[in-house]
Amino acid sequence: MAAVAADVARRSRPGPLLALGQVRYQLLLVLRSPLGFFITLVIPLLLLISLNVIIPPTASSVPGGLPYVQFLTPAVSAFCLLNACYVTTVTSMVLAREEGILKRLRGTPLPAWTYLGGRSGSALLTSLFSVGIIIGTAVLFFHVTIYWRAMGYFAASAGLGMVCFFLLGVAVTMAVPKSDAALTIAYGTMLPLAFISDVFFPSVHAPHWLYNLASAFPVAPVARAMEASFKPTTHAWPMPTTGLLVMLGWSAAAAAVIALGFRWEPGPIQWRARR
Amino acid sequence: MGLIKGPMSLGAEPGSADDRNVDGVPAFQPPAIVVERLRKHYGRLRAVDDVSFQVRRGEIYALLGPNGAGKTTTVEILEGHRKRTSGSVRVLGFDPGTGGRRFRERIGIVLQSGGVDAELTVREMVALYASFYARPRDVAATIEQVGLASKQRDRVRTLSGGQLRRLDLALALVGDPELLFLDEPTTGFDPNARRDAWEMIAGLRHSGTTILLTSHYLDEVQRLADRVGVMSHGRLVEESTPDALGGRDLAGTVISFRLPAPLTAAELPAGPWDVPEHPECDITMHTDEPTRVLLTLTRWAVHHGVELEGLTVVRPSLEDAYLRITDEAGAGGRSGR
Repeated sequence: MAAVAADVARRSRPGPLLALGQVRYQLLLVLRSPLGFFITLVIPLLLLISLNVIIPPTASSVPGGLPYVQFLTPAVSAFCLLNACYVTTVTSMVLAREEGILKRLRGTPLPAWTYLGGRSGSALLTSLFSVGIIIGTAVLFFHVTIYWRAMGYFAASAGLGMVCFFLLGVAVTMAVPKSDAALTIAYGTMLPLAFISDVFFPSVHAPHWLYNLASAFPVAPVARAMEASFKPTTHAWPMPTTGLLVMLGWSAAAAAVIALGFRWEPGPIQWRARR
Repeated sequence: MGLIKGPMSLGAEPGSADDRNVDGVPAFQPPAIVVERLRKHYGRLRAVDDVSFQVRRGEIYALLGPNGAGKTTTVEILEGHRKRTSGSVRVLGFDPGTGGRRFRERIGIVLQSGGVDAELTVREMVALYASFYARPRDVAATIEQVGLASKQRDRVRTLSGGQLRRLDLALALVGDPELLFLDEPTTGFDPNARRDAWEMIAGLRHSGTTILLTSHYLDEVQRLADRVGVMSHGRLVEESTPDALGGRDLAGTVISFRLPAPLTAAELPAGPWDVPEHPECDITMHTDEPTRVLLTLTRWAVHHGVELEGLTVVRPSLEDAYLRITDEAGAGGRSGR
């Protein structure tokens, strides 16, 4: 009976419990990493403040005659999601893989999904925190108006963005060879999209083809929906069906790449079918 | 009611009660590791080529070999990190490639390097890894055991190389593994730390933990290992106990000394030894009868009032045997390819 009891005692701990532990662990790492703190909180806050100071209220070109900050607050919030869910994921996961942290974890009973779940949970909480700081700062110091009836749309759009950006971040790690290239690749892919996707300036004067090009990538649908949630005229779900399909399509593609090619060690991609 | 069961076949349910002890007394134990005709090829490179060996429960088995011999690939297949090209591998009754969490609950791995988060404290790291396991050891006791008690509140990035290896060991031990993979566990240790680690590893064996060790330190292998396998060019070229590796238990003893001038080897008494043809004053003898030879030599020296300076009597070391085996295997491997 003792032997049977011993075997029972070896039963693995429940996955959700392990995932919660991973959330705490990843949060600790973000909080203690100067780069993570800078990327997720300091850069968006600097952007909100500096753009508000640089661009005078009279120079506003926001549709509907709204103050620029009414556009900028949700736009920088979308930028927060990109930083917390995409950039931080790419940089920290590539570093963890290169330093052998992922390989060591792979040798423990920790299931892969709990590791990724913990990372996504940490990215979600970090995003919520930084978005909260941005909106709080905008309300307190720049007198942004919150339309509570549209906050559900804001949250839902942000949720879609967080899932998609996180999955894309994990997928992109597979193409990043070394950690010193991670930040360059993360910002090199994210910033151009952000510029054409209404994250820094509204695309009222952008050519039609550029607007359509941006709409095919996952940043614009989220940013535009979040920005619409800060307009007094928004009374319905602001993301068009095509935008929703774009988000779901990119998320599904990223998930498929992760499922087929995720690797725990440095080196070239090894697709599952070829191993 | 006794729980001693009959032999468990390799195909028996992994982790079942059959392979357990009763009150710490070993029942019949199937081997912890069974490797049969293991191959791992990367294109045309045969990294592991037809390797077979077994590791018994509770023993320390050392895998030796020069860089590129296939040790790490073999160990990583056993750990479940790599897939084999062909052959059969059972570790604690599991196929490591498909054993999943139930398999990894029962093993501990010390990697060659890295794998720790620099911004966590020692205690946070060990507690984190303890949380992965169903039946972890006490975190504080594990930290104490590896000699990091005074560092437990320090960030990992402040640890020295030797302290990092101790942390590696703590992370591998905290899950209370039945089988421990130690990949060069004392690299970077100072002599005192190495002695401490040896005592700890010997203590683990005493408590029944099976250990697969790779190391470049042959004194470590001599001190710790019950059996040794030597790999070269992907093949297991010799397997033995450390004392008998390369037949060194049967090999001749080497006696060396210096004769004071103007004496030469020609003036030595006849005896059962081989002396170099043109010996100067430095004499080296090979013999299978060291006791008789020493008696003859020392009696002759005392009788003639001669001091045999620098007299040493040595058997071929593990290092001698290892170098000879890997040199021969290397020559064979080169000519055969």
